[in-house]
Order: sequence, then structure tokens, then C-alpha cells
Amino acid sequence: MSEASHRAEEAPNWILVHPAYQQMKSLEVEDSAQVHAAFLVYMDLSEVRQWKEVSCVKSPELQVVLLEGREKEGAPIQTVFPLPTHRPVSHQSIRHVLDRGFPMLLCAVASDSTLVYQRMTDGLVTPDPPTGPFQDLGRRQHRKRRKQQ
Amino acid sequence: MLHGELETLLDISITLGSQPLRDQDSMTDHKASVPAQTEGMEQGPPQVLGVSDSAPPQVLGVSDSAPPQVLGVSDSAPPQVLGVSDSAPPQVLGVSDSAPPQVLGVSDSAPPHVVGVSRCDSAPLLWRDQDLRAVRGRGLVGALLGALPRTPRQNGRLGRPLLLLPEEERLLTELHATANANQSGGGVQLSLQVKQHLEEQERSLEEQRVLALQDRKSALLHAMTSSHTGSLGPSEALRGHLEALHHSFTFPRGAMAVQLSTARAGLHHCHEDRAFLRAQQPITAQHDSKAAARYQVFRDLRGRGFYLTSAGKFGGDFLVYPDDPLRFHAHFIAVVLSLDSSLSPLDVLAIARLGSNVKKTVLLCSPGGVQYPGGAEGVQYTSLQWSGMV
Repeated sequence: MSEASHRAEEAPNWILVHPAYQQMKSLEVEDSAQVHAAFLVYMDLSEVRQWKEVSCVKSPELQVVLLEGREKEGAPIQTVFPLPTHRPVSHQSIRHVLDRGFPMLLCAVASDSTLVYQRMTDGLVTPDPPTGPFQDLGRRQHRKRRKQQ
Repeated sequence: MLHGELETLLDISITLGSQPLRDQDSMTDHKASVPAQTEGMEQGPPQVLGVSDSAPPQVLGVSDSAPPQVLGVSDSAPPQVLGVSDSAPPQVLGVSDSAPPQVLGVSDSAPPHVVGVSRCDSAPLLWRDQDLRAVRGRGLVGALLGALPRTPRQNGRLGRPLLLLPEEERLLTELHATANANQSGGGVQLSLQVKQHLEEQERSLEEQRVLALQDRKSALLHAMTSSHTGSLGPSEALRGHLEALHHSFTFPRGAMAVQLSTARAGLHHCHEDRAFLRAQQPITAQHDSKAAARYQVFRDLRGRGFYLTSAGKFGGDFLVYPDDPLRFHAHFIAVVLSLDSSLSPLDVLAIARLGSNVKKTVLLCSPGGVQYPGGAEGVQYTSLQWSGMV
């Protein structure tokens, strides 16, 4: 029992002593919730998704920690913007991150540490066309569908 | 009838030389193979002009202040224009008839068509066939509201009038392409017209009454003489009956036949010379800064050649089509927001998720922050796409 409680005391500290977290801390961003979110995203990218060369950088305009990394060896660098879900985000801040010039992902970090990534691109990107073989519906099919409606 | 109209509309969009903005036509053209009835899934009322052979009905916006306007108009009198805007003062175009018409929109070809906008409680409506075509030719889609005369009890295909988005109306105004259709020199002329009309109705009633009495008498005569062949005194009884009929005959107003003139549109005041005059729009209240932002985005996207309709069904501001909505599915759901308004990340995820479910890209549009060559303020666009990271 003492071991368990001892472990309970130890467990919360592992984030604080993690070198990556300490590196982020050294960037001196005031929003600690955002730093925590950034750390969770860092762990997800580097350990779970096995991204390469994941590093953290501070955005001066937004006062947040951003992450950069490559999805695979030799892939282009992408910027990830970690954000706790209770923090608001404005189009202006998104533009600031996009202005860095790399493909951008917004990562929303929920309170239960669920991570959802959202790709954001500058400009008008036409959506992917519908896939699959296209068939002209015969008259019969068309009438059937009409009936169902 | 409907297919003919659909073909006509397609002809318009083709002959206007509109090029689809995507290079790959194969996947967008597949829509052409989908039967027309299933097209209008995403965009409000489908844009088919279901037009009857006759002109639009005479019902225009009836105000609260004026008494209800009678609709039956005979052919002989000039068509009675009864569209009355509500308590707003009469819409006087600033120029009298004697002034020379000013040609706006200078170009070598014919001056651009000017549409007459009727108002129904500040909603801008278009009634005339050529107005709808002209507006479509400019790339503005609008929304059909009316019932079709021959298929009234359905909502799949609607007819005139066409309701314009506030942004569309504003764009037309800026291009000097609208004239107010409710031009009637004021309430005096209108009441005069109403008086004339009522007098005609009375006259018509009297005439019809006389004719109906004659009809009844001849019918009675025919009946009596055919049945009483060879009787002694048919003429006396007959005369008695005729007398009784003459005295007791009533012709109720409900039995009066009223002729509705549908051959003419009833918008005689939209003379082509007035079409060149600048319309003075009634001052509609400026809702808020959001309306200005919406308009700027609308104008920018329209300027890039996209067609725009309202996107209430998708939680956005506009649906953006690469070309005429009849031929293509929408590519984007445009959400207008100012650069500094803040959203919850959950809202961003929600709208992005919705967009990917319906195969459209969500476009965050914010006016400002960028300048076009020429100094005009531009609009910044950010596309939200499916990240593929599960």
C-alpha cells in the first residue's frame, strides 16, 4: 500500500521531469494549459504516430507553443497548433500560424486528453471528387427512387 | 413544360460561356447524368423556372395600411399595378419623364438589362421572366418562392417570384441594375385606379345582369312553348311567368364573371426608358457589421466567378458553386467571420466535420488583412479539410 501511494506520488511528476516538457517550459509561455496540451500532442506525434524531428517553437504573436515535425523521413515539415478546447481561437491566429509557410494542423485537446487534428490550408481548396464508378441510373432505378421519395 | 424550362436555363448557362473552374470535368459533370429531380438536394428550392404560359398572377405584396386590392382586371383598362410597399413613402425615382434617359453600364453591346424589384415587406422579389433571366445571366441565383399554377401542392418545384439575397440585391444596386418596380406616382393615383376599377366592375355587373335576365327569359319561353304545345292559353300564362321572372330576378354578385387579364404582366410602369434611371432604394436598416462582412465576401467570391446561394442547411453563410448550381454540386461552405472574432475549437471541428461528411470544403472567410493590387481590401480564405489522422 505504501508502494502504491509512493507510486501515486511519483506518477504526476513524470511529465514535469520529461525533457521535452522542460524544453517547452523554457520557452516561457504563460498559458500553462496550452503548454500541457502541447506536451500531450508532442507525445502523440512522436511516440504514437512516430513522426520524425518533432520540435517545439514559440509563436511570439500568439504567445503559444507550436510544434513542428515531419510525418515521415523526408516528408515536408508541418506545423501543429495545439489548443485546449476551452481556449477560444480566432481566424487571425490561424492566419498567423499559416503565415509561417508550412502546412498546418490544428489539434484540439479535450479535457480527457482526446486529440483531434484539423487540417487548415490557405486559399480555396476544392474538395476531393466523389469516388467510385458512376453509372447512369436506368429508368427503372430512377422510378424506384422516385417512389421511395 | 418543366423540361423545356430546364433546357432553356441550361442553354442560358452554356451560351454565357461560363467555364467550370475545375480542370477535371469528369467528376463534376457526372451530375448531368443524375436526373433533374434529385438534383436539388442541398440548395434550397431547385432553380427551375416553372413558368406557366400566362404571366405572373396579379398578387403583389399587400400592405397593411392600404385596403386589399382587387385583382380582377379586364383587358380594356390599363393593367392595374397593385404592388404596394408598406408604410414607406412612395418610391419616387428622382428624375421626371422629360429628362433624357441615362445609359449606365457603358459598353459597346446593349446596355445591361435593368430588373424591376418589387418589395414585399422589405423582401426583394422579381416577378418578370426577363428579369429572372437577366439576373441568372449575371450569376446570381436567388431562391424561387412561388407555387406553380399547375402543380400547386408540392414543394419540389417552385415558381416565381424569385427572392434575392440581401447581398444579391445590393450587388445589383451597385451595378445600377435595379429599378424599383413599385412606381406608382403615389397614393392618389393608386386610389384613382381603384375607383376606376370598381366603377368598371359595377358596369360589368349591370351588363351581365341584363344578359342573364334575357337568358332566363328565353329559357323559360323555350320551356313553356315546348311543353305546352296545343294548350289553350299559353301566351297568358307565359306572360305571367315572364312578368314574375322579371320582377323577382336577382343577379348575385358572386355569379358575376370576372375577367383576369394574364396576357400582360401588369408591370406597365417598368417602361424601358425608366430602366436607365438610377433607382432610389428604400432605406433598409443596416443590420450590423456582419452584413457588411457578408456582402464583402459575397462580392469577392462572385467576382471570382463563383455562384453563391444561402447555406442555411449546412450551418454556413453561403454555398459556393464553381458554376451554375443546376450543373454542379457546391464545392465550399463559406462561413463569414471577422478576423478577430473568437471561436471555440469545438465549433471549428463541428463545422469541419459536417463539411467532410457532405464532401464540401469549409471555407473560413474574413474580409481584411490583405490588399488586392489597386488598393481594394481583400478577403482571406482558410480551407478546412479532413486531416485523415484517426
